[in-house]
Amino acid sequence: MKVSAVRQALLLIALALVPAIGEAIYFRNKVSWQSPIPASELVTVEQAQSWGDNVIWVDARPENEFERDHIPGAILLNEDRWNELLPQFLGQWSPEKRVVVYCSAQSCNASRDVAKRLRDEAQLKNVFILDGGWEGWLKNKR
Amino acid sequence: MDLPSRSILWRIVALIIGGIFIYAGVMKIFDPVGFANDIDNYKILPWPLTVRLAFYLPWLEILCGLAVILGLLYRGGLLILTMLISIFMVASVIAKARGLDITCGCFGHASRYLSFFGHLALDFVLLAVLVALWFTNRAQRQEL
Amino acid sequence: MNMNFLRLIGIVALTLAQGARAELKWEQTSVDLQPALGDKQAVAHFKYENVGKTPVHFTSVHASCGCTAAQTQNEQVAPGEKGEVTATFNIGGRTGTQVKTVTVQTDDPDPARARTVLTLKAVITPLLEIQPALVYWQNGEEPKPKIITAKANKAAAIKKLDVISSIPDFTAKVDAGSAPNEFRISVQPRDTAKAAYATLSIKPDSPVNTGNTFAVAARVMPPAPTGATPSTPATKSTLSTIRHDLATPAATAASPSQ
Repeated sequence: MKVSAVRQALLLIALALVPAIGEAIYFRNKVSWQSPIPASELVTVEQAQSWGDNVIWVDARPENEFERDHIPGAILLNEDRWNELLPQFLGQWSPEKRVVVYCSAQSCNASRDVAKRLRDEAQLKNVFILDGGWEGWLKNKR
Repeated sequence: MDLPSRSILWRIVALIIGGIFIYAGVMKIFDPVGFANDIDNYKILPWPLTVRLAFYLPWLEILCGLAVILGLLYRGGLLILTMLISIFMVASVIAKARGLDITCGCFGHASRYLSFFGHLALDFVLLAVLVALWFTNRAQRQEL
Repeated sequence: MNMNFLRLIGIVALTLAQGARAELKWEQTSVDLQPALGDKQAVAHFKYENVGKTPVHFTSVHASCGCTAAQTQNEQVAPGEKGEVTATFNIGGRTGTQVKTVTVQTDDPDPARARTVLTLKAVITPLLEIQPALVYWQNGEEPKPKIITAKANKAAAIKKLDVISSIPDFTAKVDAGSAPNEFRISVQPRDTAKAAYATLSIKPDSPVNTGNTFAVAARVMPPAPTGATPSTPATKSTLSTIRHDLATPAATAASPSQ
């Protein structure tokens, strides 16, 4: 009798796979299969790096700081030259990428402001802020 | 062929329990990512596994709920539901012990209306009912 | 008698102590500015006076962001001397309510008074508010026109907008919008077969020259990379190795946010 219950259970377990797989196929492009989307807009350096090529880095710092050094591949987009830099950035963006904005450290506001404007004005989804900023990136490199 | 318990009372109980699990499963079907985040809050499983379970478990719940209501694969359904509830209770206690505040409702999905102990008590009641159904059914079958 | 005498001593001592401390008094530590349309900078003056008996020395004057330059008129302020800290906020492309701070440190022995935070608040109204900043079509999508809304600042009295595309693959047409001072820009690609990118320059006929250029981006996206296929969902695992949870059925029933 007990064996029979287990066999029934195994059958149920197998049967449930069918609709589950169907649903997964239906949602396949809407779900992040490998790593979770952060609940808040903050991502750590590790999380952002785990997204690999799917990330567009945005540097929200003043131009002279960007020129000195920046995250490889990062695009400068700060509020000083917003109207000029925004269309240039949008020329490089694409919907499947995740945007990660950074400024100098944890405490600066520029990344938050730039991220908000990207969401409001350009209506981009998947815009995140790098936890720790440029400082955090440097620390992670060591 | 399994027959559900003959007594009307137990039949009704089985219908209610089955219905509860079907309802719970259906709620989760519509938002698999939300459910995945709920599971992820417990910080027990890695995300890739969590997200796949989030698609699978609700259907398992629904099928087992149906099994209990229809009396088909009845004991298998009871067995799985019992195990699911038990595992969930264990996970809740572990999360609480680790200081994870899951019931605060901060993430929007966890119940805002029940405290941790309220949750646990409810699960315990469900567990008790499932176990009772199991033994009632066993008694019925032995009478046959 | 004795009590009064003690009180007198106390008051004299306190007054002497007050006078001995250096003290910088600020006329205002928070300034609200309303820069005019087209201003590139907003300048705030924070006036101070040394009401103490000893000179005050500024050890640092430091703004919260690179967009604001701040300096003090005098490094050293003699007793009785007045001066000001000037904060120059470079507006750039910023809009809305902007709050910038300048932190000033002096050599006052009292740490609470040595550090003062001066706040500059500026409300910036843009000449044009344009939304969205990007219109795009996927490869193969029907090349229907998409609309960009431009809201002009009432004070600027803009009658007309000229929109010029950087490449001929996109055309733009401007119509009056549903509200006064509103414009509808209708953008359309020639075709969506190949990737394209254009900057649409938006030139208002306003007499106010803000020096700010307005532009939006129009794009036809490159063909999407092959959709990521999910790896097989959880395969049947033995019951003992699964540790999972399910949101309590009753809990999900109770929670309305499902």
